[in-house]
Amino acid sequence: MLKAPQWEMLIVWYFFLGGIAGGAYFTAAIADNFGSARDRAVAKVGYLLSLPLTAACGILLIVDLGVPTRFLHMLGAFKFWDPMSIGAWGIGIFGLFSLGSSVLSFSTSAQALALRRKGSLVGSIFGFFLAAYTGVLLSNTALPFWGDARLMGALFLASGASTGMAAISLLMWLGGASSGEGWDKVKRADRYSMIIELVLLAVFLGLLGSAAQPITSGRVAPLFWGGLVGVGLVIPLLLEVVGQRVRAVAAVSAVLVLVGGFVLRYVVLMSVQT
Amino acid sequence: MARTLAMFTDTSLCIGCRACQVACKQWNELGMEVPQWTGTYQNQPHFTDQTYRLVRFVEEARPTGELAWLLMSDVCKHCVQAGCLEACPTGAIYRTQYGTVDLNQEACNGCRYCVSSCPFGVVAFDKGPGTAKKCTFCNDRIQNGLGPACAKACPTDSIQFGFREDLVAKAQKRVEALKGMGVRDAQLYGADPRGFLGGLNAFFLLLSKPSTYNLPDSPKLPQRNVVADSLLSIGSGVLVGLGALLAFRGRGQGGGDA
Repeated sequence: MLKAPQWEMLIVWYFFLGGIAGGAYFTAAIADNFGSARDRAVAKVGYLLSLPLTAACGILLIVDLGVPTRFLHMLGAFKFWDPMSIGAWGIGIFGLFSLGSSVLSFSTSAQALALRRKGSLVGSIFGFFLAAYTGVLLSNTALPFWGDARLMGALFLASGASTGMAAISLLMWLGGASSGEGWDKVKRADRYSMIIELVLLAVFLGLLGSAAQPITSGRVAPLFWGGLVGVGLVIPLLLEVVGQRVRAVAAVSAVLVLVGGFVLRYVVLMSVQT
Repeated sequence: MARTLAMFTDTSLCIGCRACQVACKQWNELGMEVPQWTGTYQNQPHFTDQTYRLVRFVEEARPTGELAWLLMSDVCKHCVQAGCLEACPTGAIYRTQYGTVDLNQEACNGCRYCVSSCPFGVVAFDKGPGTAKKCTFCNDRIQNGLGPACAKACPTDSIQFGFREDLVAKAQKRVEALKGMGVRDAQLYGADPRGFLGGLNAFFLLLSKPSTYNLPDSPKLPQRNVVADSLLSIGSGVLVGLGALLAFRGRGQGGGDA
């Protein structure tokens, strides 16, 4: 008797790219602030990746609206208890941080470096927000499965981290920057994120119990188990453990993580909407 | 703040004529729809972007072996704690000075969050203008001293309109009277301000339990978990952040930064 909002492929892509944008940005902020000088490449790639992705996210959201020309109406209200409202503001503010950090990545002056590092610490809060808020948005609807999933936001954040880090490492490998220490560190951070994501996924399913049926045994179940759990998390982790020193293997595992992140958003959104 | 207006739909008086459905369509200039076969006289299985008042025809098997034919004119509940209102990011859904929940078509940008946030599945999306649609409690009428079109049209006064406290008192007397006549399952739905969602400003007298009418027995505000879910997300962020910190501060080929 309930109604689904018909958020389909545009929103699946938005959730996926938004997770990467937020995850890549906060990874960049951590690398920039707490890593060594050799990790600068990670920071630069992370900041620069988040910018076009955030722009793409904005376009996806606007196009999905029933009346796209009224997208600015979202800024007509600020309801801090409403995920959709703070989301609209949050993605805008994050875009500004992403732009600022990206621009500052091209400067080598000490002031630019200091400003970028301080700024990105603040910006990373919005990065975490962007990755997580869409999960909280879903878990506060009236629909079954979504509305029962207390850990949806937490899970989306972990996935944003794992996909963001995978994206950074893949770009670095493609750009020939994978022989540095920074690459090893972002891969290590990615492994930690994937483990956190697997644990959260297990608790997520445990808490949901039979309410998780739409993804664990519905139409999309093969995609969930095969695409997310298998291809997206377990196999990449195994590949990295087994093929530790082989960079090409680690690049493949990054691609699989990205596929898994997309599958997660797809199964969550499409399992409840026919 | 003016006194709260309400609609009391007494299903024990409903004859299934659907004058309410027609009056609503006519007053709101809603479109014609091809009826969907539901196996009953019901025109649509549920509310749509062109159906704000919907008469439900429910057949309930009684223990005696008889079939009870339950008729109910269903509508937006104008909840005191309204999920659609809490969800709306543009302020298009708002509460009027009368306590009713209106949807401003000029402000709505069609994000559809309200559609997924109604525990009763009332709000629908209209692909034509690209906005959300639902019963407005005939806002243009009540702002001009009139009652809703459905209440005006109802020939048996099954749909009553007035101030909430007056209608609740009437409803309570009616339930007692019905029970006195032997209608044991007569019950109010949404009349109690201490009940679910703070009470409904469009409340009902039902002749069976809510689930018989496909109504939720105990609807909850979908946004009740925002704080908990946000805290859990922050927890996840802390874990992920710590992991990244460990990875970037940990053993590398020497430390120090420039």
